[in-house]
Amino acid sequence: MNTGHTQQEIKFSDESLELVRNIIARYPQGKQKSALLPLLHLAQAEFDGWLSVPVMDYVASLLSIKPIEVYEVASFYTMFNLKPVGKCLIEVCQTSSCWLLGAEDIIKHLEKKLGIKVGETTKDGMFTLKTVECLGSCGTAPMLMCGAQFHENLTIEKVDTLLTDLKTEGKRKTYLDEVKIDKY
Amino acid sequence: MTHVKEKDITARKTPDTANTLSGNAATDVKVAYIDNKAYEVKDGETILSFIRRHLGHDLVPTLCDAPNLEPFGSCRVCSVDVALTENGNVKTQASCHTPVMANSYIYPSSERIQKLRKNIIELVLTDHPLDCLTCEVNNNCELQTVAAKVGIRKVRYPEGKNHLDRKKDMSHPYMTSDFSKCINCFRCVRACDEVQGQFVLSMAGRGFESHIIKSSEVSFKESDCVSCGACAQACPTSAISDVFESKSVANVEKTRTVCTYCGVGCNLEVATIGGKIKSIQAPYDAEVNGGHTCLKGRYAFGFYNHQDRLKTPLVRKNGELVPATWNEAYDYIEKELKRIKSDFGPDYIAGISSARCTNEENYLMQKFIRAVIGTNNIDACARVCHSPTALGMQRTFGTGAATNSIIDLKYTDCIMVIGANPTDGHPVTGAKLKQFAMKDKPSIVIDPRRTELAKYATVHLQLRPGTNVALLNMMLYYIIKEGLEDKQFIESRTEGYEDFKNEILKLNIDEMERVTGVNRELVRKAAIIYASANNAMSFHGLGVTEHSQGTFTVMLIADLAMITGNIGRRGVGVNPLRGQNNVQGTADMGCQPHQGAGYLDVTNPEYHKKYEAFYHAKLPNYAGYKIPQMYDAALNGKLKALWLMGEDNVQTDPNTNHVRAALEQLDLLVVQEIFMTETAKMAHVVLPASSFLEKSGTFTNGERRIQRVNAVVKPIEGTKPDGQIVADIMNRMGYKQTDYDPKTLLEEISQIVPFFAGVKWDELGDNGKQWPVLPDGSDTEILHTETFKRGKGKFAYNDWRESEELVTNGREFPYILTTNRELEHYNAGTMTRRTGNNEILTEDVLMINPEDAKTHAIKNGEMVCVISARGKIDVKAKVTDEVLPGILSSTFHFPEIKMNDLTSSIADSEALCPEYKVVAVNIRKSKGKYKTGKTS
Ligand code: SF4
Ligand code: SF4
Ligand code: SF4
Ligand code: FES
Ligand code: FES
Repeated sequence: MNTGHTQQEIKFSDESLELVRNIIARYPQGKQKSALLPLLHLAQAEFDGWLSVPVMDYVASLLSIKPIEVYEVASFYTMFNLKPVGKCLIEVCQTSSCWLLGAEDIIKHLEKKLGIKVGETTKDGMFTLKTVECLGSCGTAPMLMCGAQFHENLTIEKVDTLLTDLKTEGKRKTYLDEVKIDKY
Repeated sequence: MTHVKEKDITARKTPDTANTLSGNAATDVKVAYIDNKAYEVKDGETILSFIRRHLGHDLVPTLCDAPNLEPFGSCRVCSVDVALTENGNVKTQASCHTPVMANSYIYPSSERIQKLRKNIIELVLTDHPLDCLTCEVNNNCELQTVAAKVGIRKVRYPEGKNHLDRKKDMSHPYMTSDFSKCINCFRCVRACDEVQGQFVLSMAGRGFESHIIKSSEVSFKESDCVSCGACAQACPTSAISDVFESKSVANVEKTRTVCTYCGVGCNLEVATIGGKIKSIQAPYDAEVNGGHTCLKGRYAFGFYNHQDRLKTPLVRKNGELVPATWNEAYDYIEKELKRIKSDFGPDYIAGISSARCTNEENYLMQKFIRAVIGTNNIDACARVCHSPTALGMQRTFGTGAATNSIIDLKYTDCIMVIGANPTDGHPVTGAKLKQFAMKDKPSIVIDPRRTELAKYATVHLQLRPGTNVALLNMMLYYIIKEGLEDKQFIESRTEGYEDFKNEILKLNIDEMERVTGVNRELVRKAAIIYASANNAMSFHGLGVTEHSQGTFTVMLIADLAMITGNIGRRGVGVNPLRGQNNVQGTADMGCQPHQGAGYLDVTNPEYHKKYEAFYHAKLPNYAGYKIPQMYDAALNGKLKALWLMGEDNVQTDPNTNHVRAALEQLDLLVVQEIFMTETAKMAHVVLPASSFLEKSGTFTNGERRIQRVNAVVKPIEGTKPDGQIVADIMNRMGYKQTDYDPKTLLEEISQIVPFFAGVKWDELGDNGKQWPVLPDGSDTEILHTETFKRGKGKFAYNDWRESEELVTNGREFPYILTTNRELEHYNAGTMTRRTGNNEILTEDVLMINPEDAKTHAIKNGEMVCVISARGKIDVKAKVTDEVLPGILSSTFHFPEIKMNDLTSSIADSEALCPEYKVVAVNIRKSKGKYKTGKTS
């Protein structure tokens, strides 16, 4: 696991801390470990889109659980990134429907355009490319997700436009941009 | 073995433990069927334990199941078919974690099941290197055994993706891993969580990517591992092991013995090849440690054949210690002892025995001093640790030993740990206490330091060092105020309560709150938790005894147990965590100046006569010197000869300069040792002794359990067992003493020590016996079930008093220094520093609160100069909030730091146990002046 985040002080913003308290309060006393997944999402969104060891240790301390209890969970779910990622994490679906409708070409094109392989990050720290399994949008295959946004019925042109737009915008995309954690 | 357990002493009011099997009329016997034959079912057992109980261990193979772990159910090798009717429709169930259902029909070896098992193992083997012949666990690998059992000849599947290229981890001095051999059974993870409670290991990733991680996926060395070895022992393959390859069975012989590093008394299974020790494991059937140890017991044996071992006697000639033969050494000693005895008298000679040595050796040592020399000047290192426990508990109960057993932790509802840091000092018991506290069961920790256990406790009373008496008095106050006394117990079993109660109620709580520094509400809370638990156990350590009010504190702990009726049944009692492996035995055997073997008062005319007749010798009828008095006597010319059996007093006793000066006055200092120590360097004669691995005898652990120590290897050439050395000298001095032999000596001991009456070497078995052992051989898990040894338990009130040290020096030296120990080392480190433990923990540190560090501009890791009224030392700072502002705590395993230059000669008022735990000091940033060069 990657330590990273060693320089900066790891602490949620006041606003997030309030949210943390609310989330923990949803579970019975002594069962605060149940709040682990939402807290990890929150942490990933707040600390550069990935979970470093110090960030996971911080989450463990918030829940009074052992750090290793966080590591085992975080490493189990593919939605958690244990390595630094670019501002825009592009997650391309490669399951049946998308694959039949050209996911492979989309992936190859992205690799060429960004100059990276799946799993890598561009030098400017802008994009990370990742393949994922079915995101439940088979009817609009092929598709990819960036942050909380689905980009559907993809063509090579659409991908190019998307990349340009994202680059111009230059903003970090996270799941929490739209999916509010206190809602789920 | 006639190990008779107490039957009626069940814990109070806990329905699930009381009356388990009684009252089971024949009519409600439940049965289930194995291959259509009926067998009796026990409540709560799993299908696996049901089958194994009736048809033996081997019918159902298992992989992820382990004797000391909770059932888990991950490998499915233990699958069996279960039907609701005879030969009915079956469902496959993993037997290890499925409770057996009454009237079910179990088919453990149907054809279907056999096929299933075979296929599971075959799949496991597709991702396992097939190099058994060169694997360290060959012939002792559970995967190999199970594979053979289910009949796998070859794997049918073609080679696919696998993990065979995983790298080995050889970073750690002891622990190793090679995860190409891992079968993802989770046993190591569970061992680390359930047995040790360290949470170092886990499974990360998922599916094909699943893999064992250590902490945040680092090496063993960088992880939080405390090297207990539980995971290595639990791992069914060689995926996790140790540098000694302790699961290897190639050419090894095994000997069972007992660990020498602490009073827990773990059983060890030592493997030897050709007379050399190869490795150590923990037997699963050991009642004390059931498959667990700490790193000292399991891995720190390398000292035994270290090149530094003393191998020849040394005699001082022209001011220098030079090698001599045993005869020359004995001649010298004999001549000197005889001269001093006739010139000055026997009372000018004294002996100090050792809690590291066996009962038989301690018995011989005191017999030598009493019967052969003719003085009661015999003491032991228990003086500097648990003498107040023995004295205090004797005063209150009549017996100075733990009232209950460690197994009682299973039955108790509350633990109270006072002045003890068991996860470092008594690691295997510490792990059990930690497991208890971690499960959020009521636990109280009373300690100036936020110990590992304190972090899990329900209440941590972080008092100022030296105020135990004040704090416990407060607890008693609240118990009485809240009306939580056990009136019936007080009425029927105790005396002196009314006076005691009156004194307690007069307490000035404002003042007590101020001196202890603990909020009264917190004390009240703790008092209520302890007093209202059905069954509460207390544990205490040197943080209780090594104080000027040590004995009084012990008496208060005993009072707390009595006032709440927590005596005489399962899950209760007063349980001192005895420090050294045989500190209990040393006192039992009579290495005390006022009591002989079996605690009989040497000044009592009746006992005096009894001892004289037994030893066929003339004995003095007055008590001898305690250790501190020996030093004073030496300084006053009243002591001329001192015999030390395996103790390094110069480094370990307080106020080093005082001790040195005293030893310098002696005409004869004899030291039996395994290594050259600072004390041995001052001796006139040094006699090379054998270590515990090279001799037999018995040790008595902290729960009064007399266990057999069996020689694992022959004595290192040139050395003799301490007992043999003493026997030799006894003969030299004209007393007929047979050679050192535990069996004959135990026979002798059983005739003079009342509670050893039924102890026989051949009947001690693997797990020993807990004294008192009655003449018929039955032993005792719990003391004081009906009455106390002294009849009624005695309440006695004592005021809290500020330590003399703080009264005198507190103004000039405003900080309080206390001492603590670390898991990795044993006392002065003579042994552990000659093992791999030295690579794990390399130096002593001084804990200092961030606030104080800031005041003195001391940064973490910088050297601090610590000054007391007696000396100055330099030690490395560890800035931590484990200690409160104004309090410092230091380890003392590296004597070159010279911690005892600081400590005082102040001692417990009653037992003269030194006050190591309260020293008035001042600190400043070091100028590097007192830095002592590392010796090794
Ligand atoms: S040696 Fe003990 S502490 Fe270390 S990982 Fe294994 S079980 Fe855990
Ligand atoms: S390391 Fe050993 S005990 Fe741990 S999962 Fe692998 S095979 Fe099982
Ligand atoms: S806990 Fe004590 S007796 Fe057990 S192995 Fe460790 S040092 Fe030895
Ligand atoms: S297969 Fe791509 S979204 Fe379902
Ligand atoms: S032994 Fe039962 S599932 Fe592994």
